[in-house]
Amino acid sequence: MIMAIAFLFCLFLGRFLYVQVIWRETLVYRALDQWTREVPVIAQRGRIFDRNGELLAGNVAAYSVFARANAVQDAEDGARLLSALLPLSYEEALAKLTDHSRSEITLIKQAEKCVAERIAGSGIAGIYYARDNLRFYPYGALACQVLGFTAEGQAGVTGLERYYDSYLAGEAGEIVYETDLVGVQLEGTGASYLPATDGLDVTLTIDSRIQALAERVMADAMQQYNAAGVTCVVLDPQDFSVYAMVDLPSYDLNEVPRDDLDVLNSLSRNTVVSDAYEPGSTFKIVTAAANIEEYLRGNERAFSPTHIFSSARTRTVDGGSIRCWSDHANGKHSNQTLSMALNNSCNPCFVDIALSLGTQTFYDYLEAFGFGKVTGIDFSGEAAGMLLSELAVREGDLARIGFGQAIAVTPLQLACAAASAVNGGYYYTPRLLDHISFSDGAPAVQGENALVRRTVSEEASQLLSSMLEGVVANGSGKNAYIEGYRVAGKTGTAQKYENGVIAQGKYVSSFLGYFPAHDPKYLALVTVDEPQGAYYGSVVAAPCAREIFEGIIELMDIPPYV
Amino acid sequence: MKRPAADGRGKGDLLFFAAVLLLAGYGVVCVYAASSYNAQVQYGDSFYFMKKQLIGFVLGAAAMLLLSRVPLSALRRLGVPALLLSAVLLVLVFVPGLGKSNYGATRWIGLGGVTIQPSELAKYGLILFIAGYFAARPARMRSLLGVLPVLLAGGVLCVLILLEPNLSVTMCLGAVMLGMIFLSGLSWRAALVILLPVVALVPALILAAPYRLKRLSAFLDPWASPREEGYQLIQSLYALANGDLFGVGLFNSRQKYRFLPFSESDFILSVIAEETGFVGVLLLFALIGFILWRGFRIAARCKTFYGYMLACGIMLAYGVQTALNALVVSGCIPPTGLPLPLVSAGNTSLIVTMAGMGVVYGISRGQGNGKGAPRHKIQRHGLSVRD
Repeated sequence: MIMAIAFLFCLFLGRFLYVQVIWRETLVYRALDQWTREVPVIAQRGRIFDRNGELLAGNVAAYSVFARANAVQDAEDGARLLSALLPLSYEEALAKLTDHSRSEITLIKQAEKCVAERIAGSGIAGIYYARDNLRFYPYGALACQVLGFTAEGQAGVTGLERYYDSYLAGEAGEIVYETDLVGVQLEGTGASYLPATDGLDVTLTIDSRIQALAERVMADAMQQYNAAGVTCVVLDPQDFSVYAMVDLPSYDLNEVPRDDLDVLNSLSRNTVVSDAYEPGSTFKIVTAAANIEEYLRGNERAFSPTHIFSSARTRTVDGGSIRCWSDHANGKHSNQTLSMALNNSCNPCFVDIALSLGTQTFYDYLEAFGFGKVTGIDFSGEAAGMLLSELAVREGDLARIGFGQAIAVTPLQLACAAASAVNGGYYYTPRLLDHISFSDGAPAVQGENALVRRTVSEEASQLLSSMLEGVVANGSGKNAYIEGYRVAGKTGTAQKYENGVIAQGKYVSSFLGYFPAHDPKYLALVTVDEPQGAYYGSVVAAPCAREIFEGIIELMDIPPYV
Repeated sequence: MKRPAADGRGKGDLLFFAAVLLLAGYGVVCVYAASSYNAQVQYGDSFYFMKKQLIGFVLGAAAMLLLSRVPLSALRRLGVPALLLSAVLLVLVFVPGLGKSNYGATRWIGLGGVTIQPSELAKYGLILFIAGYFAARPARMRSLLGVLPVLLAGGVLCVLILLEPNLSVTMCLGAVMLGMIFLSGLSWRAALVILLPVVALVPALILAAPYRLKRLSAFLDPWASPREEGYQLIQSLYALANGDLFGVGLFNSRQKYRFLPFSESDFILSVIAEETGFVGVLLLFALIGFILWRGFRIAARCKTFYGYMLACGIMLAYGVQTALNALVVSGCIPPTGLPLPLVSAGNTSLIVTMAGMGVVYGISRGQGNGKGAPRHKIQRHGLSVRD
């Protein structure tokens, strides 16, 4: 009998040894979790500036007030005080203070500091408050699709707020309390404080003045032509940094319309980057560039700048006929050189070029100019556009691509392609980021000026640019002309397709322009979607580009070049 | 020279007496350590449970002294009445208005402001009865038929306690009964005949009540239901682990902050293990082991068979219950509600256990300095009978 008792003693003492010494670490690690409660310390989100240091997105200190029902001592008294200080009824406040189903209940989010301090000062037991961020955009709707918005000032949901979230967000800290089972802090224990790491500041290549200017001009055009939407991208052709990216209609970032998700999705979509359209005649810049480069390289299938194209209105390809938008009557579009063909935007000439160069050569250029793939801009959700595969493309398709049909591009893709065609043949990765810095200004990340590839030679580029200057001086781009500033460009008027057939009366009017032609500094692509009344790019879009360029000239105080 | 005491007996085993007082006193301190936070939250007085325990300690010490002076012959006459009283009290638990329920079981009788737990008394009632029954005619234990009344009496008490329900005390009572039967010198064969059905009964009883099965599976994997059945065991293991070798220091338990249920009663050993570490547990059981050793030594040296049986029964009850509690706390067997005798909060248990220890001490006082005293051999099954 004594042996039995001794055996039992050895049994449990061995077990004590096992649990207390050998199993110890695992168990204590698990137990730690129940012994403490954490209150998050929210990191200050990084700010967003434009390239001149103008604040585009900042923070207003806001406060969340919450209650731990288990620590509330006098719920009725607390509810009375809370209902006086917060937009809560006495009953609602009482219900929250007595809700034991969760350890922590939020009473109000994003309250102002004075409210939070009054609550803290009233000394109601079991009620706490913590700082959180309220995102503030000083310019409201300005560049709203580019900047994007956050969820409760914390996580970026769209736009650059999302793309650079890992830099902007920072890292939350926490205050750790020792508590009993139900979350009451233990007497005589302090709280250990893990400070939050604030987010980094992001400076963009966007110039808020140019952005505002372009938005104003485009809003006017949208109103004048009662258009469905307008876009505009302004970039520096020398390094593809983006000055402005406009997409109207827009919305106020400080009052994001969160109620209707469909509306919000369509309003917050940055179509310049995310949506492709059939460009039409602006695409002839690319075809012309390919021809000039091939001609300079000695390709006999390319046309010389002095070559006179056939004056016929139609070309027969693959058994079908392609006609010019112009009737070619009364000597219009006759005996044209490439330069004149650009001025007149004559479709058959560009059909000739595409077919003459042939699929292989022409596709080399489409490839080099970045069609059918994303540009790699620092923005989420970029579209690659639509380019028929080289193997599947038929003669008729190739002919149409020559003047900007049977291909879909994003405005950004086209702007970048044109920029590289006229800047000496350099294709860079477009970017919105200038640099990222710590809150004290110390640099963290520098936006990179990344050359992707050469597209055409300097010589071809100069030749093309002089032709495009002629388009504005003498041709369809007249409405973009500014005396002394050597504006160059190309108009475009594309018919829209709906369900595979041409939608009657629905056009995308566009203009791609830049200045000065001999050393491009500012390039803009303007699109007006479904303008009513007039629809030619030369009439609807070219004046917008002029107004924007005039505004830039005034802003930057640029003297005339001649 | 030892001078005889006023009642004509010696000083007895003073070390045994002192060890019991020391353990019970340590219990008062531990009750404070384990309950101060809960007492503050529930009653606004961190000493609430400690004060109650202190009263129990004083009353227990008085009972111990008192019972050590009661002649064995008087106790011997109490055998049958104690058994009957125990049975009556256990029945009274089921009388509406008298019985008090707690945690889904009816185990207490409320008399005015005092609550008593009849099953604690019944244990000693049965011991008194068995000791008296065998001592009256030692030949009884040679036959199964002679043992039958003991089994019957024990069986009735067991069933009554089982109905409360309180499986752990039932098992404790059964173990004491069987232990005493074996220590009385029953033959091996007869012992097996009794033991086998009893052992077979345990799984049946566990299966009979669904909550016991739940507890059993929770015991095998407490983290499968960390907030329900597994909770107690997990919390006890956390406390043990937090103690490490040397403990977090007296009064520094982290688990007493309402994480560990019944930290001042059934799971006080968890708090002790947390605060004093494995070394503290070893020292505690060294003291308990010392008490057991001295207690059985007293039994073995007793001149009368009745005294031997009585002391054995009391020490057996103490040892079995202590072992069961430690097995539960360390997670060797499924959790059952059983206090650590002499240490856990709970006055009925404390006073009755101390009173029982008083009886054992009283037996030692009748043995002089032990020289020439008869030595019963406590071994596998009993001893040769001298009475």
